[in-house]
Amino acid sequence: MESNRLFRKFPTPAWMNNANVRTAGVYMSGALFSLGFFLFLDAAVYSHSAKNGSDIHITFVDWIPLICSTLGMLVINSIEKTRLNADSFSYSGNGVAWKARLVLFLGFALIAGGLAGSVCVLVLNYVVVEASVQTMWMGIANVLGNALVMLSCVVLWVSQNMEDDYTYNLAL
Amino acid sequence: MAAGLKTIIALSFVLAIGFLLVILSAALFHNFLTLLVVATYVIAPLPNWICGKCANPDDFMGEAGYAVVDLGRFCTGFLVVMGVALPVLLAHCALIQVPAMAMSIIGGLLIYGTIISFTQFFKEEQDF
Repeated sequence: MESNRLFRKFPTPAWMNNANVRTAGVYMSGALFSLGFFLFLDAAVYSHSAKNGSDIHITFVDWIPLICSTLGMLVINSIEKTRLNADSFSYSGNGVAWKARLVLFLGFALIAGGLAGSVCVLVLNYVVVEASVQTMWMGIANVLGNALVMLSCVVLWVSQNMEDDYTYNLAL
Repeated sequence: MAAGLKTIIALSFVLAIGFLLVILSAALFHNFLTLLVVATYVIAPLPNWICGKCANPDDFMGEAGYAVVDLGRFCTGFLVVMGVALPVLLAHCALIQVPAMAMSIIGGLLIYGTIISFTQFFKEEQDF
């Protein structure tokens, strides 16, 4: 198991295989996702409230990066981790690991695309028209929200990999 | 026994204070958006309970059991942060006032703390 891990260059420290740390990681992931989502929702509500003094409003286009990030997170965490190292004879069909890695790549591409798209929206909608700081915060919140969703995905991934090691130790 | 009569009385007292704070934050400012906090915190432990029932804790090799439990924890973490983030959002967008925000956050945290404490005490009673 230890030699078959995906990133075997980085050994996991001993405290990470604790079940409590794993639980805390999953909770933390949910909290980070919530923080990212509400950061952007705050910007969206703000843009349609009376406090917004500019002509720039958040439309559906601004929501697309966050939707991409969320979909990417769903894809990445839906993959069963053991499939990534599965040899062709251990599961049904050929090239299971290859297919799993392709889907994983799609998930990463969605998340990276979401982050890049939010930066794109920030530049095109706010920086180019030289918006004021209060208005530009709506674009910055978009980028921060996507970055927090990405961080949440990383935390969830790491916690679930912890779970694999933990389960394996118990099974032996 | 940890969950004595005094504990239950104290917990219900804290719960009443929590509800009082949230209802005051709504009624004092004639703006009932803060009642959403109560709804959020009441449904916050639900995913954990439901997913905990769905999973089979005896099966260590089962992948699906852990996935369901993790989904429940993820949703609970989401809802707990939502309970704090929602009043802050409403206050930032001038939909409610800042004192109402503070009162509803404190009240919501008291309500959620009471629910969690009750769950812990019931869990201790079931273990023997």
